[in-house]
Amino acid sequence: MYRFSRRTFGALVLAGAVAAGTGAQAADKINVGILSLASHSPSIIAEAKGYFAEQDLEVAFVSFQAAQPMAVAIASGDVDFGMTAISGGLISLADKGVIKVIGGALQETPEIEGQKILVSKAAHDAGVTTPAALKGRSFGITTTGSSFHYMAHKIADKEGFARSEIQVKPLQKVPAVIAALKSGQIDAWSIVPNIASGLTKGPEVVEIGKVSDYIDNYQVTTVFTSTANVADKPDLVKRFLAGLSKGIADYNAALVDKSMSEEDTAAIVAMIHKYIYADQPLDKADPRIRAGAMRINESAALSLASVEDQLEWFKSEGLVPEGVTMEKLVDTSFVETR
Amino acid sequence: MSHETAASEASAAPASADPAVQRPVPFRGGGFVHRPLGSVAPVVFLAILALWEIGARSGFISPIALPAPSEAFGALVDLATTGMLWKHLGASLYRLVVGWTLGSLLGIAFGLAIGLFSLARSGLLPLVSALFPVPKIALLPLFIIWFGIGEGSKVATILFGTFFPTVIATYAGVDNVDRNLIRMGQSFGLSWLSIVRKIIVPGAMPAILSGFRISASIAIVLLVAAEMIGAEFGIGAYILMAGALFALDQLIAGVALLSVLGLCISWLIGRAEKRLLSWRS
Repeated sequence: MYRFSRRTFGALVLAGAVAAGTGAQAADKINVGILSLASHSPSIIAEAKGYFAEQDLEVAFVSFQAAQPMAVAIASGDVDFGMTAISGGLISLADKGVIKVIGGALQETPEIEGQKILVSKAAHDAGVTTPAALKGRSFGITTTGSSFHYMAHKIADKEGFARSEIQVKPLQKVPAVIAALKSGQIDAWSIVPNIASGLTKGPEVVEIGKVSDYIDNYQVTTVFTSTANVADKPDLVKRFLAGLSKGIADYNAALVDKSMSEEDTAAIVAMIHKYIYADQPLDKADPRIRAGAMRINESAALSLASVEDQLEWFKSEGLVPEGVTMEKLVDTSFVETR
Repeated sequence: MSHETAASEASAAPASADPAVQRPVPFRGGGFVHRPLGSVAPVVFLAILALWEIGARSGFISPIALPAPSEAFGALVDLATTGMLWKHLGASLYRLVVGWTLGSLLGIAFGLAIGLFSLARSGLLPLVSALFPVPKIALLPLFIIWFGIGEGSKVATILFGTFFPTVIATYAGVDNVDRNLIRMGQSFGLSWLSIVRKIIVPGAMPAILSGFRISASIAIVLLVAAEMIGAEFGIGAYILMAGALFALDQLIAGVALLSVLGLCISWLIGRAEKRLLSWRS
């Protein structure tokens, strides 16, 4: 029987260390935070098709349940890049000088179906058939300062009633909001089309409008990283964005413009399925991944006007410190801005 | 043998000495007793606060790891001056008082039943054991459907959280009542109800009250979970909002409020113990 002596053990450890060392030289290891939402597919596609490998990046995905913990993980350096909506937490962290928005992702565009405004059946029966009738009604949000909170207030602003007339109900998680909307505990909600279409199929939820009517060119999600990466490794950031951009191009071609062949599209859906709706068989997940894909900006271009509007809203509600500026929040040197 | 001779010599020695000059025997008992040192706790507390403040100001503690205590205090002052403090406290206290009271009353009733009746014990105890470890937070989506997003689901979360520890504390207390006392009552011909009222319930009271200490702390812990659902006001909602906005000063201020709440409740239960257990002294 082979005896595992201390010397062979030492040799093995040394060999392992050398292997790990050379591996690190070959490619930069980065962690990318994702949520189980179809809008996070571009990084998954870029990884599966080897676009990150072309840039000498070795990507590991870290799954999160919500945007906020991802922002905190990027601030702490456990995760390098993330893609989420601009939240109060993200701006607070940017104000503390630890994270920066470096590009844009999901954006509302007029020609693509965007986020929908939904109401419960009970509210619809009671006369809430247009967003104007949301005055005095309750509106589900995940947390204070989330994108849902912003959308609710933008609807109030455009319809000309006070923001306080729309009662926002923080319910922490998307499933809780869905449960509350279906059972009529809250009157209204707004959500991306692929979740909205699943809800409006049932009898409990009715669609009454589109978010794009209330917010111009809404930059829903952005790409962000730590300030340390921006300052010390701008090259790494550029390579990540280059890989991501190719993933975005494929995502748009396959699912938004549908200009890709059916065969290639199916391959892309299969890649996405590894991380999103992974608990369902592919034939069931396939239509859910394809349904209601929204455009992700080519080359991660960023709409500064929309980001500024969101920042102003956060300040006007007192949700972030007064002193936050666009310069603190955004680094515009990496992508095209518009 | 040498032991015995040594011992007999030792015992003989004092006897042989002059009985008139008896050596006083020093009292060797005592020790292992706690003296109340009232000033130590505040000193330790202030020293930690001072170290923390110095660490935060000098930059040793990064501002994204922990805010300075002065900043957290500033957030508390903001809360008090805007009047939001009372709104948050009022909402949370209402939920705590209603949820904990109902949970404790139900818990004592079920606990007594389990302690006194074999049928209840066989039927309910496995149920309690099965449901106690269920995380109430995992049931939140169901609570929304069952109790709504108003006060119902918040009170229910706290009620369920405090019910189970109270049941267990109560029936364990009943089990631990001295059997001799019960037998004495029986031999004096006391009725069943008298024995329960005069022997079992007072005998189980120390266990029930220490159960209260635990269930009250659990109620405060669950307050944050309860206020996840559609709460506009409440200390838990305030902490959750601070977390979502990454406003650490407000987060620490909220947590400090919960600690103070815990201290107050513990003091109240201490008073109740003095009153209800006065028969022991």
